[in-house]
Amino acid sequence: MELKDIKEGEGKSFEGGAHVPHYKSFTDNIPISRMAPPAEVIIPLQQHVGASCDCLVEVGDKVEVGQKIGDSDAYISAPIHASVAGTVTAIEARPHSDGGEMDSVVIETDQEHSEFVPQETRDPDEMSVDELKEAIKEAGLAGMGGAAFPTYVNINTDQPVDTLILNGAECEPFLTCDHRLMVEKADELIAGAEILMRCIGAKKTYLGIETNKMDAIEVLATKLEDRDDFEIVPLAVKYPQGYKSYLIKTITGRDVPRGARSAALGCIVRNVGTTFAAYEAVVYGKPFIERIVTVSGPVVPEPGNYIVRLGTPAEHVLREVGVDPDELEGHKVIFGGPMTGLAQSDLRVPVVKNITGVLVLPPDMVREDVSYTDCVRCGLCVERCPNWLYPNQLSILAEHGIYEKLEDWDIWDCIECGICAYVCPADRPIVHFIKRAKPIVDEM
Amino acid sequence: MVSKLIATPPPHLKRENTVSQAMRDVVLALIPVSIVSIYFYHLYAAFLMVVCVATAVLTELIFRGAMRKKHTLHDLSAVVTGLLVALLFAPTTPWWTAVVATVLAVGVAKELMGGIGWNLFNPALFGYVATTILAPWLAFLSRDLAPLSPNFGSLDVLTQATPRAMLMQGVPLPGYGTMLLAFPGGALSETSALAVILGGAYLLYRGHINWRIPVSMIGTVFVLSLISGFDPIYDVLTGGLLLGAFFMATDWVTSPIENKGKWVFGIAIGVLVAVFRFGVGATEGVAFSILIMNTFVPFIERVTRRPSFSEPKPSPAGEDA
Repeated sequence: MELKDIKEGEGKSFEGGAHVPHYKSFTDNIPISRMAPPAEVIIPLQQHVGASCDCLVEVGDKVEVGQKIGDSDAYISAPIHASVAGTVTAIEARPHSDGGEMDSVVIETDQEHSEFVPQETRDPDEMSVDELKEAIKEAGLAGMGGAAFPTYVNINTDQPVDTLILNGAECEPFLTCDHRLMVEKADELIAGAEILMRCIGAKKTYLGIETNKMDAIEVLATKLEDRDDFEIVPLAVKYPQGYKSYLIKTITGRDVPRGARSAALGCIVRNVGTTFAAYEAVVYGKPFIERIVTVSGPVVPEPGNYIVRLGTPAEHVLREVGVDPDELEGHKVIFGGPMTGLAQSDLRVPVVKNITGVLVLPPDMVREDVSYTDCVRCGLCVERCPNWLYPNQLSILAEHGIYEKLEDWDIWDCIECGICAYVCPADRPIVHFIKRAKPIVDEM
Repeated sequence: MVSKLIATPPPHLKRENTVSQAMRDVVLALIPVSIVSIYFYHLYAAFLMVVCVATAVLTELIFRGAMRKKHTLHDLSAVVTGLLVALLFAPTTPWWTAVVATVLAVGVAKELMGGIGWNLFNPALFGYVATTILAPWLAFLSRDLAPLSPNFGSLDVLTQATPRAMLMQGVPLPGYGTMLLAFPGGALSETSALAVILGGAYLLYRGHINWRIPVSMIGTVFVLSLISGFDPIYDVLTGGLLLGAFFMATDWVTSPIENKGKWVFGIAIGVLVAVFRFGVGATEGVAFSILIMNTFVPFIERVTRRPSFSEPKPSPAGEDA
C-alpha cells in the first residue's frame, strides 16, 4: 500500500460537497471511556427503520441487563434489549429526539447488577453463516451511523455481493466516536468485518477513512499489511463523504441509481461502529445495549467519547460531562452531528441506536434570529450539492407552495445533508424547506 | 427543566458568507478603475459616481417603500448597481441621463421585477441601454436642465474619440502596453483595462464569480476577431469587453447557474459581440449582447440541466434495464 504518501486532508472523493470546519480536536485524542448508567433508562419501542417492536415486558417486571424487551415478527425490524438491570416502572409515551413522543419502556436501574458479563466466548470461525446472521439479528443491530436500518436485513441478501465497504469517513464535524473506535479497537473491527464478509459472501473489504484521521489509517494499515482482502481507501476531507451512495461511487466507481439497494450494486456499506457491534454480538453474544457517543462542544468541561447505555436521557449525559442542564439558556443541544442532527428542546429524550453525538453549542455559535432573503442565484448550492440537484429551485418552489413541480426537480433524491443551507449567502433554510415539503408531495 | 434551548432546524453550522460581503467585494473590485477614471476625468467622473450611487439608494428606498417592502440597502446591491451605471457612461454624460438610467436600473429592472434575485436583465446594463435608446425622447431634459449642469472646467480628453470609434475609423491606437495600462476616451470603465482585470481577478480569487464566463466570452471574441482579420488584442482591451466579461455577464442573478450553461452563455455573448462589431459596426456591442443573452438564460438552463446523481444511466444496448 502506498498509504505513506497520502497527505492529511487529501484522498479520493466525489463531485460536489464542501469543506466544513471539523471541530474534532475537542475529542479526537480522548480515549473511549465508560459513562455510568443513569438512574432510569427510557427505551423507545422503535429505534430503527421498519416495524415497531411489541413490548415483551410489563410494568413491575424485573429485567436483566441485555434481556430482550421488545421484538417484532415483521421482516424489517430489530429487537430491543434492556440496557440496564432493574425494574420496569412504566410503559408509556415519552419524548423522543425525532420530536414528539414514542411508546417507551422505562426501567429503573439496579446499579449493582447492570454490568454486562458475557456468558461465553464464541469463535466465529466455528460458527456457520446462519449462526452468525442469527447472532446479529438477535442482538438487534441497526446502522449506527445514521439511518438505523436493521443490520440483519442488510446482510441477509441472496444477491451476490463481492464487496464490503466499512464506513469510517465520519464526515460530520465534532464527531470522533468512529475515529476512536478505529484507533482503539482495530483488531475487533477487522474481526467484525470478517464476520460480515462471511455473511454476505464478500471477497474484499474497503475501509474508507477521511485523512483527518491519519492515526486510524496508520493503526489499521499496520495490522492489515499482509492482507489482500482488505484495502484502506484514504478519503479527502469533505462533507458529506460518509453518505452511502457517494462512498460507493468514490471507492468502487459504481453508479448508485435511485431505488437501487446497495446489495444490487454488489456492495454493502457498514458503519465501523456497527461492524464492531457485530463482532461483540457474535463473539460475546452481546446485544445492542450501548454505543460510543461523542459528547462535545466548546463549553463542555469534560468532552469525550463515552460508551453510553441506550436509553440514557440527554440530561444525564450532560451532567456526567460537567454541564448543568438547567444553565443552558440560549444554547443548542444537538443529537447527532451539527449538519444533520436535531436540536433538542426537551433534555429528557434518550440516546437511541443511531445517536452518534450529543453536542452543546454555546450562544455565540447559535443564531436564534435567522432572517433570510430571496435566492440571488449565486449557484453555490448547485455547485456543492453532492446529489447534483438544484436546491435553489427546490427551495423556491417549496417556499411558494408550488409542490406539484418539486418532483420535476428530483426532490426525492435529496439526502438532506444540509450543505446547500450551509453555503447559502442569502441564509435560506433550503434543506428545511425541502424536508417540510416532502410529506406534502408524498400526499399528492 | 429548561425551556430556553434553541431548537432551530439543521444544519447548525453556517459558512460565514453573505450577499452583503459579496457586494462589498464587488465595490472593492471596482475601486481601481474608479480611481483611474477620476485621474483622467477628475470631478466629472467623481460627480457621476456620486449622482448614480445616491440615485440608486434613493430609488430603492422609494420603490420598496411604495411596495411596502423592507429596504435591503444593507445588501449593498443598490450601491453596486449605481456605481456600475456610472462606470458605463462617458464623463460628459449629463447628470440627468445618469439619473434616469439609474432609476430604470434599480427601479424598473430590479425592484419592479420582484427585487434582487428575480430580475431578468442585468440592472445596470438595462438602465444604460434603455437611456441610450430613449435618448431622443429625453432631449427635453437636456433643454430644461442644461443650466443646472455643474461646470468642472475643461478637459482635453473629453473631446477625444473613443478607442472603438478610432478602431472603426482606422485611426491608429497607441501600443498594446498603453491600451492595457490606461488610455482615456470612452466610458469611465474604459480608462484602464488593467484596473478592470485586477478587479475581476479579485472577484475570482474571492470565489464570487465563475471563471467560465469571462474565459469563454473573452476567448470567443479573441478567436472570432483573429478569424475575421482584426486585431484580437485591441478587440479584447476596448469597448468595455472586460468590464462586461468580469462584472456584468457574471452577475449571479442574470447568468446561468450551472457550469455547462455558463459556457454556452459566455460563448453566445462572444459571438454576438463579434456580430455587432464586425458585422454591424456598432460600438455598443457588449451591452446589447449581454442583455440579449440575459433573456435566453431560462432556456439555456433548461437545455443544459444536469441530471441528478441518482438518475439511472441508460443501460448499454442489448441489456435489460
